[in-house]
Amino acid sequence: MGENVDRLRPTVEDEYDDTTSEGSTVNVDPKDEAVDGIEALVLSFLTQLDSALKPEETQEVGSGPTRSKKKIELRIANRTKQARDGTTTVRALKFPQRFRYASSRPFAQLFRVMDIVHEAVINEVPVTKRDIYYRHASLFKTQATVDRLVDDLAATFNVGRADLNVRASPKGLLCGSCIQIRLEDGNVITPSDSEACLIPHAEDIAVFDVDPELSWVLIVEKEAVFQTLCSSEFTRLPEIGRGIILTGKGFPDVATRVLVKTLASNLPETIPIMALVDGDPSGLSILSTYMDGSTAMQHENDKLAAGKRIKWVGIHLSELSRLGVGKDSLLPMTSHDEKKAMSMLLHDAPPYPDTWRKELVHMLHTRRKAEIEILASAHSDNSKHSGCPVQPLLSYLVNKISLFSTNATID
Amino acid sequence: MVSTHPAGTCPHKDAIWGVSWTPDDRVLSVSADGTIKQWDSGSGQVTRAGPRHPLGLTSLSTSQDGRYALFNSVEGLTQMWDLQSGNIVGKFESYARPTSGQLEPSWSVSLHPKATTYASCGGSGNVLVHSTEPVTFGQHRATLSTGRARFGLCCAYSPDGSRLALALETGQIYIFDAQALEVTATYTSHAMSIRTLSWSPDSSLLLSGSEDKRLILHDVRVSPSGKPGSGAVASLTGHSSWILSTQISPDGRLALSGSADKTVKVWDLSARAAVSTVQDTGEVWSVSWRPNPSGANVSGAFVTGGEDGHLRWWRAGGAA
Repeated sequence: MGENVDRLRPTVEDEYDDTTSEGSTVNVDPKDEAVDGIEALVLSFLTQLDSALKPEETQEVGSGPTRSKKKIELRIANRTKQARDGTTTVRALKFPQRFRYASSRPFAQLFRVMDIVHEAVINEVPVTKRDIYYRHASLFKTQATVDRLVDDLAATFNVGRADLNVRASPKGLLCGSCIQIRLEDGNVITPSDSEACLIPHAEDIAVFDVDPELSWVLIVEKEAVFQTLCSSEFTRLPEIGRGIILTGKGFPDVATRVLVKTLASNLPETIPIMALVDGDPSGLSILSTYMDGSTAMQHENDKLAAGKRIKWVGIHLSELSRLGVGKDSLLPMTSHDEKKAMSMLLHDAPPYPDTWRKELVHMLHTRRKAEIEILASAHSDNSKHSGCPVQPLLSYLVNKISLFSTNATID
Repeated sequence: MVSTHPAGTCPHKDAIWGVSWTPDDRVLSVSADGTIKQWDSGSGQVTRAGPRHPLGLTSLSTSQDGRYALFNSVEGLTQMWDLQSGNIVGKFESYARPTSGQLEPSWSVSLHPKATTYASCGGSGNVLVHSTEPVTFGQHRATLSTGRARFGLCCAYSPDGSRLALALETGQIYIFDAQALEVTATYTSHAMSIRTLSWSPDSSLLLSGSEDKRLILHDVRVSPSGKPGSGAVASLTGHSSWILSTQISPDGRLALSGSADKTVKVWDLSARAAVSTVQDTGEVWSVSWRPNPSGANVSGAFVTGGEDGHLRWWRAGGAA
């Protein structure tokens, strides 16, 4: 059964092994790896096809053409499972299979994606996942199929998605005049304190310039909150010093995560990097994506996971009664929230921090969650300074940022 | 109300979500910190603690003689503690995939007064009756169905063991005959979630506490002709936030209520009015009267557990 199965890029590995065994560091261009990987997979397919179609030698004369019993099998990475020793597991695409519909479709989809990606890399013209989908929508049926195949290919060849020359449209927003982004093509992006700009793709960025006056970084989950802060020029409030705010508009895309990771790795420890998310299971899930990465992009975690540097500012259910928010302002949990909360509580590889689990248990017990907007209903007499903004969200954040800034300098 | 005993030296590390004062003059408490503790009411100190669970414990129910304590965790691990031997005599993973019968993760649990069975409710809106035998602990014995797929927040056996009360998230109360396994009465006195139920000692009254900030007393006597009791007979108002826990006193004259407005109120049921209000520092999640008051100096004593994890002991100022 297994005689026609081919492992991924065996020849490619051998080639490069020779050059690196001398001890010299040869920089292998990942784009070349991608091209070689694609070509190797195609070769493997063609080899198996050829072998399957060869007539059997023991065939009796005159018995007519018989169906070959051989199967073609291609293996690509399975990103959702991790083998015990940390290597990526593989899943196999087999042809033919006993499906009701034509079993050639998965192969056709894979090959079409490989075709487009191959062209993109060779011609140096980037494509987006949406482009790929629309080039042959009837074959792919859903965008998710394309997304999955592209990421699987990247994981199989052990390259980043950007090395396949496939990119997503940028989603994240950035605001604050303390940072400038210099692009590879020479342009410079200068976000202001009152207007947001899109966070560009990591591969287009040459360098970040950060003003030494920068004293805090805030990540917010929702665009609406981001816009409120932006229009109040929150990054320039005298009480807390200058800062930058960014949002991934929900679950962050790769470009946003790369920016956060870069800031986390390079800014001095005295500058707190804080996250404000909804007090519900998906808020915590988003926080976890910034800190620990996502299952889909596990293979690129070292570029994307910002780690413990990110501080969870709020919303904590446990602080709401102190802030004067009544229980009736809380939103009921949906069954989706419940399932998510339970699965996060029972998740143990690695388990979430105790503070998160405590909040999730309280959410489940009260069967309520809190969105950031709930602060608007808080009757706070927390304004300590006369110049402090009256709007509850702003005063909440001013207090938190002052707290985290002090703690950061003490550490 | 006067507070007795300073706060215990081993408070819980998180909110206390269930308390029960047992006839042997000890108190049991379960907490969001995952532990169940036993306290001596004379000294106010912890005498024993059960095994620590990684997730919070949300429900506690004790047998009438105080020998057994049934408790449930947020994900549905139900356990029974034999307080005489000190052993856990039953463990049931209600969240595990069922091999047969209808099962669901348990939310609230109630032990039969004689500990012969226990009842649980959860997402399906039904009450499931389970075995308490050591070998078959947790095994499904019967389903009491409401026909309504709404979350069941609270269930409670009547003190005489003949009936079960169930309160739903949408505000309905169902009373089942525990033998016939049928609904015998339905009450829709609340329109918001009911978080707590308490039967009177003679099983003739049921007090419900809701997120609508009210407690409603229901006459649930079963007349010889089979006609259910007249239903809501009194509404106790005064709290400014959710009612989190309630209990009718052992002599049936008073009721306790703990609320999210951070107060505890003592109500006179015949006068339908609050006679005392005690201020706490956080939400009061659980309340329990001292059972069988005997002797002049212990009338009207009760214990409360709240958001800060401290057990608080109270008695009426001025002995009866």
